[in-house]
Order: sequence, then C-alpha cells, then structure tokens
Amino acid sequence: MPDRTGWLFDLYTDPRDGLVLWLLEEGDERTTPHRLTQSFPVTFYAAGPDASLRQAWIWLSDQGVRLERTERTDLFLAAPRVVMAVTVPNAFTQPRLFARLSQAFPALEYFDADLPVSLRHAARFGTFPLGRVCVTVDDRQAVQAITPLDSPWEIDPCLPPLHALRLEPDCDPAHAEPQFLLVGCAGRQYRFSLDPPRPLLLNLAALLRRHAPDLLLTAWGDTWLLPRLLEMSRGAHIPLPLNRDVGRGVLRKPQRSYFAYGQVVYRGAQVQLFGRWHLDIYNTVMYHDYGLDGVLESSRVTGLPAQQTARCSPGTGISAMQIVTALRQGVLVPWRKQQAELPKSALDLLYADQGGLVYQPIPGLHRDVAEIDFISMYPSIMRRFNISPETVNCSGEGQRVPETNLYVRPDPPGLVPLTLAPLLDKRIALKHRIAKLPNWHPRRALYKAQAAAHKWLLVTCFGYLGYQNARFGRIEAHQAVTAWSRECLLRAKEAVEDAGGKVLHLYVDGLWVQLPGAAEKEAFTPLLEEITRRSGLPIALDGIYRWVAFLPSRGDERISVANRYFGASQDGTLKVRGIEARRGDTPPFIARVQMEMLAILAHGEHPGDYLERQIHLLREGKIPVQDLLVRQRLSREISHYRVPSPAARAAMQLEQAGKHLRPGQCVRFLHTLGKPGVWAWDRPEPFNPATLDLARYRTLLLRAAETVLAPFGMQVAPQISFRLPVGRATPQDNWVSQLIQVL
Amino acid sequence: MGRTVPSITLLYQEELQSLARFRRALRRSDQAVFDDLLAAAHQHLAAASYASHTLPFEVFLLAMLLEEHKEVLRLRGLVEHA
Repeated sequence: MPDRTGWLFDLYTDPRDGLVLWLLEEGDERTTPHRLTQSFPVTFYAAGPDASLRQAWIWLSDQGVRLERTERTDLFLAAPRVVMAVTVPNAFTQPRLFARLSQAFPALEYFDADLPVSLRHAARFGTFPLGRVCVTVDDRQAVQAITPLDSPWEIDPCLPPLHALRLEPDCDPAHAEPQFLLVGCAGRQYRFSLDPPRPLLLNLAALLRRHAPDLLLTAWGDTWLLPRLLEMSRGAHIPLPLNRDVGRGVLRKPQRSYFAYGQVVYRGAQVQLFGRWHLDIYNTVMYHDYGLDGVLESSRVTGLPAQQTARCSPGTGISAMQIVTALRQGVLVPWRKQQAELPKSALDLLYADQGGLVYQPIPGLHRDVAEIDFISMYPSIMRRFNISPETVNCSGEGQRVPETNLYVRPDPPGLVPLTLAPLLDKRIALKHRIAKLPNWHPRRALYKAQAAAHKWLLVTCFGYLGYQNARFGRIEAHQAVTAWSRECLLRAKEAVEDAGGKVLHLYVDGLWVQLPGAAEKEAFTPLLEEITRRSGLPIALDGIYRWVAFLPSRGDERISVANRYFGASQDGTLKVRGIEARRGDTPPFIARVQMEMLAILAHGEHPGDYLERQIHLLREGKIPVQDLLVRQRLSREISHYRVPSPAARAAMQLEQAGKHLRPGQCVRFLHTLGKPGVWAWDRPEPFNPATLDLARYRTLLLRAAETVLAPFGMQVAPQISFRLPVGRATPQDNWVSQLIQVL
Repeated sequence: MGRTVPSITLLYQEELQSLARFRRALRRSDQAVFDDLLAAAHQHLAAASYASHTLPFEVFLLAMLLEEHKEVLRLRGLVEHA
C-alpha cells in the first residue's frame, strides 16, 4: 500500500463513498489533486427516560446502525451520563437519519448530532484544512491510515501553492447588467462576452479543464455570477466543470437576514463546490479586513472547510474549535442546550450583570499620551482564571470572582481555556514577530492577516460564553470575565496613579495615560511591568501619541463620549475613532478630506488652504460622483419605515426599478436637489450631475472639518474663514498656544 | 443585548426623563445651570456603574457634588495664588 504525502484540501461526505478527501500531493512544479475515500462511521448520542430510550432503540434497530448503551461526560453534570450511542456506518446518511429520529422522539436529549464532518475528522485524526498529512491508500484509493505532519499552531507552516482562477463581471450586477466576463488565470487575462452563451461556456470550460484551478475567486459569484453561469449552462446544454468532483452538483444555500450584535446582517446566497473552492470576495466575511490569507488561517485553526469559514461568522469558528476540544476529551456536545441561569438575589444580579468599565474621557487636546492595552484581555482572563461554563459556580468552590458571589474552580483546565490557549499563544507569537519585522517585509502582511483572523475568533469567544444558545455558553462565565476585566482595569488605573500619572481614559481593555516627563517608550516600561504584576495579565504599549483629542458629544459639548477621538502618534500615524472618516455612511470624498486635514495637522501645518481648495473643487463639480456616494444599511423592510429615511427613499426607487433590497443590505445613493432628495446609484437610468445637492455636501464637509478643528480651538465660519479661538483653547497649556502659533 | 439589569447610561437617561417637568418649569437661565449639573453626573457614569448602587440617583447627586467641589478647590487655588 503506497503512502502519499500532501495537503488535505477538501473533505465532505458522499452517498456512495462515505467520506471523500482531496489531497494535493506535493510535486516539483505544482501539486496533483487526488480524490481519496475513507470509511468513516460517525456516532451520536441520545439521553432521556429509560422508556423513551427503549422505544428509540426499537425504532433504530432496523435502520442499519450499531447501538450501544454507554456512559459519557456531560460538561454541566458532575457524574457521567448514561446514553444510547448510535453509530451510523456512512456519515452521509447521518443527518437525515437524525432528523427523522429527532422528529419521532422530540423529548429526548441529543448530543454530537449535528456536527460538521470535518470537525469529527479533526478530532479523530488531528487533521485540518490545508494541513500536511501522510496517507496510506489501497488500490481503490481508499484511505487505510492518515497521519498529520503539522499542526494549526505552526507559525510558518509550509502551505501548498494554490492555483486560482479569477472570475469577475465587467460591472456590479446590482448597478447595471454586465456585458462581459473577465477571467484571470496563470498570469493571463481574458474577456468574454456574456452573450451569446455558447462561446463563453465553451471557452470557460476549456480554461477550467486546462488549468484545473484549486480555487475560483469571484466577484459576486455567490449572488449573481455562478447562478447565472449555471443557468446558461443548463439552457445551452453545455456542461461547465465548476466542480472538481465530477459526480457532484454544486451546493446552493439561499440568502438570509438576521439580527446580531445590534444590527441586521445580510448574507447573500451561496454557491459551494466539491473538490474545488469557490470564494466570492463580496460574500466573504472580513475579506476586506484579512483577505485570502486570513480565510486560510481561520480555516486551519477552526478546522472548518475554507468555503464554509469564508462565509460563516467568527462565532461559528470559535464554536467549531470548542467542539473539537470537546470531542477529543470525550465530552458530549449538546444539540440543543437545556441550561438555565443559576438563581441569584437581585443584589447579586446588580453586581454581576455588568459589562466592561468605560470612562468618560477628559475632553480636549492632550500631549504625550501613552495608549496601553491588555493583550487579548477577555481570552487572557478566561485562560488565567480558568473561566469556562463548567468551572464557574455559586457554591463557593474555588477562587472568588471580585465584587460578585461567583466562584471559579482552578482545576482541571476548563474546556474554553483549553481551546483558547494555543490560539492566544500563536497570536502573541505573531504579534512579537510583527513588531520585529520592518514595514517592507513580505511576511509582515501575512502575519497581520493571520493575527486579524485570530482577533475575530478571540473577540467572539467572549460573546459566545454568554450566548444562551451557544453550546458551551453560560451567563455566569460571561459575568465572571467582565468582573475580572473591571478589577484588572482598576488595578491598572491604581498602578498609573501610584506612579504619579494621570488616567485620561479607560476603555474596557485599554488605558490612555500621561506620566510626568515621560514621552518615550522606555519610560513606560516599569509601569507596564507593575500593571502585569498587579493584574496577572499581559499588557503592551500600543503607542505614544504626540497629541490626542477626545471629542465631546455632537448633541451636548459638555458631555464627553467614550469612543470619539483622534490622535497622531510619534511616528506620524493617525488613529481615529467615531468621527466621520470612520463611519461607513460618510461619502469617500468627505472621509478623505477629513483624514488629509488630520495628516496636515499632524505635520504641524494649517489645513485651511487645503480645505478651501477642496470646497472649490466640489463647487466646480470636479469631484467624481462615485466619491460622493452615501452608503447606508437598511435596518428593516422598506414598507416598515414610518418616516422613510434617505436610504429608504433610495431603496424605494430601486424597488420601482425591480430591484428588491432585503434588511441588512446596503443602498448607495446621492443627495439631490428637490424631492425626493436622493438618487439611488443602482437605478438603471444615467445620473444627471446637474441635480447634485452641492450645498448639502458642502455642509457635510464643513461639519467633518469642524470635528477636526474644534479641539485646536478653531472654528469654521460659514464663509470658510478660520477664526482663532476666543476662550476655547486653554491658555495655561503652553503647547496648545505654541501649536496655534504654528498654525 | 442580553442584559437583565439596565445599563448605567439607560438609568441616567431615565432620571433625565423623570426630571423633564422640573426642568421645563425652571427659568431659561436656571435650565442651563441645571444642565451643567447633570453633565457633571454624566462625567462619572463609569464609577456609578461600578458602584452598582440600588439607588443610582444618589450616586449621580454625589458626582454633581464632586464636580462642584473640584470647582471650589480650583477657584480657591486661584484666589490664594492671586
């Protein structure tokens, strides 16, 4: 039996072969894909009253499965649990069998019942997407043994060169009907007319066969392109080999909208392939943030296939990691969790049911401010204090959580800390490497993408701890984390004040501080060490601002807001939060002007001339209309708006043009003169630039300019002259006067 | 989201609402002073939240006093150094 060494590329269930694995075998020039099969029986469990279990046993006995009475660990119970183990020989048939069983016996509790097959494989063999493996196969290409050769926690893994074919229509299909398909492959570009379909399909099929790409990277592939190509292929009777696995059709999932983290999220329809990946750059979560490298890293660490990782939220990813830990530990993974909150007194609830500590910063302009952050604070707390659903209790066992009546058992290590530990270590190792590499280094971008992918997994990990439907969520664990975070932040504040410093702002896991006479990194090192000593958590200096401005609320300038500030660091980079340039609904032109004004201020120069030039360009109609587009998300169905907002009015125009937008989708529009005051950008008719409401854009621009100038004591007068302040600046701050003199 | 106890910002807004009639009946000049006092309470929302007091308005009053006393100390300093 020969051994093959390569990368595990894809893995899915198959009606005939049970499990199909795609191996990219290492070669001299490029990898060779192999379709392998594996016999992979899967087991799920049922628990409940004996009588019901007996009936379920009888029901299952003629379904071709193996049944066994056994004991397993339930994370939420002290003693092992008696369960019925159901082993299904072909993993493909398990979901359907389970659906029928749960319908017939809805009162039973089920475990390990709805797990992705890739996670079961990961738990049993230590495999993961794009992990290197050595497989032993027989003559029929059936896997007899599989050994992982690397781990997802490797910092510099050896990855296969993936061959991508890029497909993109010549324009946004939501905006206008595309006429051409642009194809990029092996360094060459092709342009095919979408009509008539026959030559397009023949050419595309030939390219797919000749180049045999591993990956189709498309623009609007999920929502428009692939469904359209498949429709053309059916109509013209010309097969299009999108899949590598020729025996399978493509997997299509419908579009949906849902409510998460305070906003409505829209997920477009999906088209997934077998033996080849399809990633739609506009339907890939966080693609703008971490790109393909981040998707691959997410897939490797979560164990979910790349096509799925690209389209699911980081919460699903962290959940997947916890499932793998549970499977490896022999812990039951609940199908539908039945866990109620522990009873508490009203006062206990008052103390425990709080979030992170957030200060109202001291408004105004401040000089030489250090921003120090606890590194991945919440996950670090979970790990340091062993916070997990099964370790937190109200019965007084273990260490008390500050200011609450909750306790945490320090050992054995909890499921959540066990899952997080390698991820946290890898993230910290990557951060150290990033800090050492120069900006031009090619590995820097890769490490940053990977660290960004980890960040989102770690962020959602905390949310999932308190999410009642999460399999391993428990509100008390969530409360223990926030209680420790408040405690650690207060200890940090006390350390700063004991060192003679001033805390300008606290925000959940970060502090903005001034130390007398300290303006260099080294001056803050003793403080960082002291905070780590007092809190037990790693903390890092994020940077030192030459100046930072905390802004008041738009509505009332006496009230400061936690997350509205901007500053220039010592190396000249700008950090902005909560101002127009950061908002998704600010036209790109206004965002750009605001950032440029900040850059000018960071150089110690006056942005007045620049602003006047931009206003002149706007008035002359020299700003491209695309740069004036406002982009807003619809929060509900159009018919549900009582007073239609500009976004709703734009969506109504699209509705009239036959384009229906769902809640969570974005609409792009321009402000125009007269009624209805907006022009939906994706309307089919051409736009007349003479109707642009330039006065409105000018007002928006001046407002953005005012945000930047106000902390420097300057105002933008209606006729765009700059007045120096009368009493807004603080004359006792010498450097403000100096800055104003420079300006 | 998923919170049983209202956040401190929400409690602050509720207190503001409950004082709306009082504020309305004040003279315009007094309204501005009243708003200053409430803004002073807002400045210490983080501490009020951490205190988890059953009667948050008492903490808001204390926060107003704190800001008032800061102002007294500042003015005293000016007089003494004049």
